[in-house]
Parts: sequence; structure tokens; C-alpha cells
Amino acid sequence: MIEFREVSKVYAGSGEPVVKDLSFEVPEGEICVLVGPSGCGKTTTMRMINRLVELTSGDILLGGDSVTKISATRLRREIGYAIQGIGLFPHRTIVDNIGTVPRLLGWDRGRVRMRADELLDLVGLEPGQYRDRYPAELSGGQQQRVGVARAMAADPPVMLMDEPFGAVDPITRTRLQDEFLRIQQGINKTIVFVTHDIDEAIKMGDRIAILEAGGVLAQYDTPGKVLSEPASEFVASFVGADRVLKHLSLVRVGDVELDPANGDAGSLPRLGEDVSLRDALSELIGAGAERALVISGGDEVRGEITLDGIRQLNRRSGG
Amino acid sequence: MDSGFSLALQGRPPVDFDWILRNLSGDIIPAFLEHLYLSLVPVAVALAISLPLGILAHRHRVIYPPVTAVAGVLYTIPSLAFFVMLIPIMGIGQAPVLVALTAYSLLVLIRNVVTGLDSVPAETQDAARGMGLTDRQILFGVELPLALPVIVAGIRISTVTAVGIATIADFVGGGGLGSLIFDGIGQQFLTAILVGSLLAVAIAVSADLGLTWLEGRLRPWARRAGGAA
Ligand SMILES: Nc1ncnc2c1ncn2[C@@H]1O[C@H](COP(=O)(O)OP(=O)(O)O)[C@@H](O)[C@H]1O
Ligand SMILES: [Mg+2]
Repeated sequence: MIEFREVSKVYAGSGEPVVKDLSFEVPEGEICVLVGPSGCGKTTTMRMINRLVELTSGDILLGGDSVTKISATRLRREIGYAIQGIGLFPHRTIVDNIGTVPRLLGWDRGRVRMRADELLDLVGLEPGQYRDRYPAELSGGQQQRVGVARAMAADPPVMLMDEPFGAVDPITRTRLQDEFLRIQQGINKTIVFVTHDIDEAIKMGDRIAILEAGGVLAQYDTPGKVLSEPASEFVASFVGADRVLKHLSLVRVGDVELDPANGDAGSLPRLGEDVSLRDALSELIGAGAERALVISGGDEVRGEITLDGIRQLNRRSGG
Repeated sequence: MDSGFSLALQGRPPVDFDWILRNLSGDIIPAFLEHLYLSLVPVAVALAISLPLGILAHRHRVIYPPVTAVAGVLYTIPSLAFFVMLIPIMGIGQAPVLVALTAYSLLVLIRNVVTGLDSVPAETQDAARGMGLTDRQILFGVELPLALPVIVAGIRISTVTAVGIATIADFVGGGGLGSLIFDGIGQQFLTAILVGSLLAVAIAVSADLGLTWLEGRLRPWARRAGGAA
């Protein structure tokens, strides 16, 4: 769906490329997270897709067509864009902010209003209460929700999100991330998502593109692969010394093969099947136990998970 | 002060209301309207020059320093000297006044246009571009609306200044409320002085209040802010 072909970018006035020979593909309906240290070229890479930055060499294909062949304004109206730092229009109400691109596309007021209400509901803001407010009358977290709603307004198949949850506290960020993943399950957009936070990348990404300084692609893989098989020293250190634990946090207890439960279960710790392996490990160590019962639904015992089992799972996936 | 003048005032009623009524339509109202014309037209003309020039200077930063330098030099010329300097070119009457007052208004207006446009957050502009607004749509739909309160503040300052300076327009035959004031001084007639001065003050104060009110109206988002959740 989005294809980078040996894309490089040299900003005028500097000899060094900030993005170098970048090639990767984002399949339709997936979230691709661009992650890397500050200044490694994530924003630049993203902005070449909607031509806020013109590429120096190579090409970017969108649904098979080179972005350089499409008029910049048309291209941008077809790509949802949630900017680093929100960027809502301070002089326009929430409904008018969300309606920006739909109005450019010629929707009438009634349709824009309906769409805005629908999106406000989707991002968890009561339309009656918020649609006629100005951005300054909303908290930072609420503004970021509106920023995301605005990017989705004209139902673009592709969305670019540059640190969209950067301006809020960690608790709100977690909630926005969860909500966004829930929304994405229903809409299946092709999304390029920029963050400098590897944990956010692991959580949000179907695939992760890790960039090094100088805009070089260090690894492009699923979160599991990035954690279990880091392609280089740089990737290993970027994902952190706790990458094994991070990997375990991606898997739910209910998704692994369990041992059958046997006898004397009364004293064992009990875990819901939605608990991650990481949390299961923590429970086991905390309780000083070798094994725990996995419970599904209300009370039904699905089986047992053991310390050894977790250890073997991790070894098998290459960690 | 001139003691003869103050003596002459004694013995007459301080304000001659009969005179006001008799000269209302013949002198006072025409002088008042002429004063409005002398002070408002230059601000309007200066605005018509400053808006495009300010927008240009905002986009192409290199032209901003020379533009403000020229406007700044014009701004420092003393008003009466400016009027007189223009007489050889345009004769006496309203013309030198209109030109000088236009020139005075340029500095404040251009500065406020540029400052107003500069105050638009970079990320707001970036978001606008990223959503596919054209340069024109960004200018008229985002930048100018956000800059407008600052521009109106510039219009307010220029207007109040022009109303004040226009009171000496009559020195070069320009008329306006200054003609009542100077006639009053010449004839040692307090009523004419008071009528001329008070009307000038009234114009300045109402322009100030009206445009201050307008600035607030143009910033509804700031007026209502504070109720943030
Ligand atoms: N408009 C620009 N002109 C020149 N250099 C730029 C411009 N934008 C970004 N850069 C430089 O390019 C590099 C990458 O920037 P950016 O893509 O914003 O990185 P990131 O989003 O990963 O922090 C940085 O060194 C930055 O200083
Ligand atoms: Mg960035």
C-alpha cells in the first residue's frame, strides 16, 4: 500500500542526508511505527509521504502511484494527518476543526456535523458537550483526541500520525493508545505512526521500522521479531536490556499451550487468560510458585502455566 | 499665559450655547465630518498598503527591515514640518494632511500585520498545509483570522493618533475640528475652543473603545477560554 523505494533526503544547505536509502513496504490495513532516537529522521520520513517534505531521490508509492505525480493538495486531502503537537486551529470550534478536510472536499454543513459527532463519540468525547467549544477550552488529552478525530474526518485510507499522544501524561497516553487500537480494529486504516518511545512502538505497531542516526533503516520487522532477533547491536540496545520481558508482555497466557491442571490446585496463584506472560512471570516470582492456574471466563480452569514453560517459550522464539 | 485672553473670558458666560446652536449645521457639523474624513481616510489607505506589504514581508523576511526602516523614518518627522514640506508639492488644503497621516500610519500597521501573522503557531500552519489547504486558503482561513485582533489593535492606535494630529490640519488649510479651535483662540472665544476640542476627544475615545470592543469580538476563542476541562 505504501512503498518506500530507496528514498533519500538531503535538506538544502546541508551535505549530509537525514534519510538514507530507505526501502520498506507498509501493507494495507497495518500500523507501521517509525521509531528511533530524536533527530534520526522519523518526521522527515513521514512528511515525504504527503509531500510536506519533497524527497531528494528514490520514490514513494501510494497504492502503486508515485506521490510525486499527484498534486500535493489533493494528496494531502486523501491522507489523514495528525501532527506532532496537535496543531488544532485555535479560532475554530471543535466541529469546524474536525470538518476542515470534509469542507475542502465540498461536504455540506449537515453532513460535516454528523460526521464530527460520530467521530467525537468514537474518540470518547460527548458531542453535545464538546462540539461547539474552542480548542483552548479542552485539556491536552482531549485536544489530542480531537486531533486524531480530525485526521480521520474524511475517512482517508491512509493516516500519518506524528507522536500523536506525545503531549499528554503517561496514564492518559496509555488510555489513548488503547482506544486507538480498539478503533483501528474496526476501521483497518493503513497507518504510519511516529514515536521515539520503543514501548509505544511495540504496543502500537504491526510492524516497526527502527531508524538509526542518519536516517538508516536498522530493522523492519514485527514487534516480536524485533525483540527476539534484534538485527544489530544498535537495535538490541535501543529496545533495551529488558527486551525479553517486553517480548513476554506481547503474549497472553491464554494464547500459549498450557499444561493440563493436575491435583492440589487449591494453593496455586490464579491468572485470567488475558494476563500477559510478563505479568504471569511477575505473579509467579512474587508468589514464590513454580506454576499457576489459568482461568477463563468466570471460573473454568483452562490449564496450568509453569516457570519452565515460560522459559522454554522464550527460548523457542529465539530470545 | 496670555493674561488678556483670560481677562477677555470674564464677564461672558463660559459656554455660549446660542452660538453652538446657531453654528451647528453651518460650521460645527461640517468641521466634525471633515475631521472624520481627515483622520479615517488615511488609516484606511494605509491599511490597504500595509496589509499586502505586511503579508509580503511576513513571507519574504528580507524585505521586512527595509520596509520598517522607511516607515520608521516617515514616522519620526514632526507633523507640522511634514505638512509644510508637502505644500510645495501639493499646495495647501487637505492633500498634505491626508498624505502625511497615511505615512504616519504605515509603521504601526505594517508592524502589527507582521506581528499578527507571526503569532500564528507554526504547528497550526503545518497542520493546515498537511491537511491540503492551499496557500490562499491558509492565508484567508487561518493566518489572517488569527492575526486580525492584532491588526485591529494597530488600526486602533493609528486611528487615535490620526484623530489627534488632524487637529492641526487647519494650519495648512486642511480644516477639521482644528479650525474651530484655532478660530476660538484667535477670537478669544472659549466656546469654539471647547466644542472643537471635546468633539476631537469624543472621536478619539469612541474609536478607541469601539475598536477595543471589536478586538475582543474577533477573539471569541480567547474570550471563552478558561473553562478548560
Ligand atoms: N526543514 C529542515 N531543514 C533542515 N534540516 C532539517 C529540517 N527538518 C529537520 N531537519 C534535520 O533533519 C534531521 C531529522 O529531523 P526529523 O526528521 O525531524 O527527526 P525526528 O523526527 O526523528 O526527531 C535533524 O537533524 C533535523 O535537524
Ligand atoms: Mg519528529
